[in-house]
Amino acid sequence: MRLRGHHLHDDRLFECYLAERSGDPIDPPTAEHLADCPPCGTRYHDLVRVMDALRADGEAEADLIFTPERLRVQQQQIAKRVEHIGRPARVISFPGQFVRRTLTATTSRTAPRWVAAAAAAGLFIGVALGASYEWNGFIRSARQSLVRGADTARPTRLTPVATRGNHPPDVAADDAFLSDLEVALERPHTRELLAFDAFTPHVREVRDRR
Amino acid sequence: MSDIRTLRDADTGDLGVSASTVGIARDRRSAPLAEDSRLAIEIRGLVERGEMDEARERFGDLVAAHQRRASRIAYQYLRDAADADEAVQDAFVKVFSHITSYRETWPFEVWFTRILINGCLDRRKARARRDRRFVSNEVTDADQARVAGSGGSDGDPERTLLARERSARMAAAIDRLDGRQRTVFTLCHYGDCTPREISAMTGLNESTVRVHLFRAARKLRGLLGGKP
Repeated sequence: MRLRGHHLHDDRLFECYLAERSGDPIDPPTAEHLADCPPCGTRYHDLVRVMDALRADGEAEADLIFTPERLRVQQQQIAKRVEHIGRPARVISFPGQFVRRTLTATTSRTAPRWVAAAAAAGLFIGVALGASYEWNGFIRSARQSLVRGADTARPTRLTPVATRGNHPPDVAADDAFLSDLEVALERPHTRELLAFDAFTPHVREVRDRR
Repeated sequence: MSDIRTLRDADTGDLGVSASTVGIARDRRSAPLAEDSRLAIEIRGLVERGEMDEARERFGDLVAAHQRRASRIAYQYLRDAADADEAVQDAFVKVFSHITSYRETWPFEVWFTRILINGCLDRRKARARRDRRFVSNEVTDADQARVAGSGGSDGDPERTLLARERSARMAAAIDRLDGRQRTVFTLCHYGDCTPREISAMTGLNESTVRVHLFRAARKLRGLLGGKP
């Protein structure tokens, strides 16, 4: 037996309390000591009183919250949750009201369908007419341009033939002009290279010198 | 089942299975089965045979037998009526959905209480995480529920006030207990479990359970103004 001086230790007293609560017999020497030693008996009774008060308070508090009504509701909720266990998942059908409404809507839309068809036909005719008009205009303008081209091309071709024998200096001037044009086109267009180009003798200049 | 954990967490008082627990379960095998354990086996058989409606009906009796005790334990553990309510519901639903894994080597009470306590521990952890993120209100749901609950049943306002103060002090004191001490104390004092049963539920050695109980009681006496 564990004693504090001549008295029982607190843990021993607590063991006695637990044994008494569980309905187990208390160790005989300890029980004897408790009966014979008033201070230990008092300490033990204090301990029992405090522990019982703690327990009673806790139980009373919980019972105040978990009333029979609340427990009944809780039981119903458990039953409701348990109801879904072991059952296949419920398939929710597509709302019937919506389907019905859709079906009636499609039958009542027979008349507007003609309107849509007429609008589509009108659009098609309009586009076709517009396209044909544009095509006619294009053909007309092409013809006019061809006629105009023929009128302007004829004199330029005929003029040199008529004047070639009478004005030989003009032909030389034309050659010089075309040569200048050729040089200008061959000349580099970069400004930095123009200076180099000026120093470089051209084939034409060499030929003229000869 | 996932709720029966194999790890123990000293800070949270998380439960686990140990060799001593198995030993206790083996000892119990020779003892006659309790009424609830027999009922649980019957439900298991019904579920295995696919007679779900009958199983559900029988399960209602099991719920009725353990509901009050479960609510007390959960409330003392969580100190919030709504949380405790949900924890009890979850525990019963888990029991039904995993009833086929129940073995008669375990008394049903032990098996169920383990599930319940593990659920409560999870909720406490979740709450602690939540409280770390958000500033907790001074007036909690638990307080409101207690005020609402005690106000209507007792006519004497002074007694109501005293009871509320005592309850708040006790709640604060229990909350200051170490995780395992709290578990052991709650199971012993509000779950009416013996140290042997707590040992089976928690996986702790029976003598360790007794030590935790003693320390918890001593600490509570000190905190509540009694002799430490």
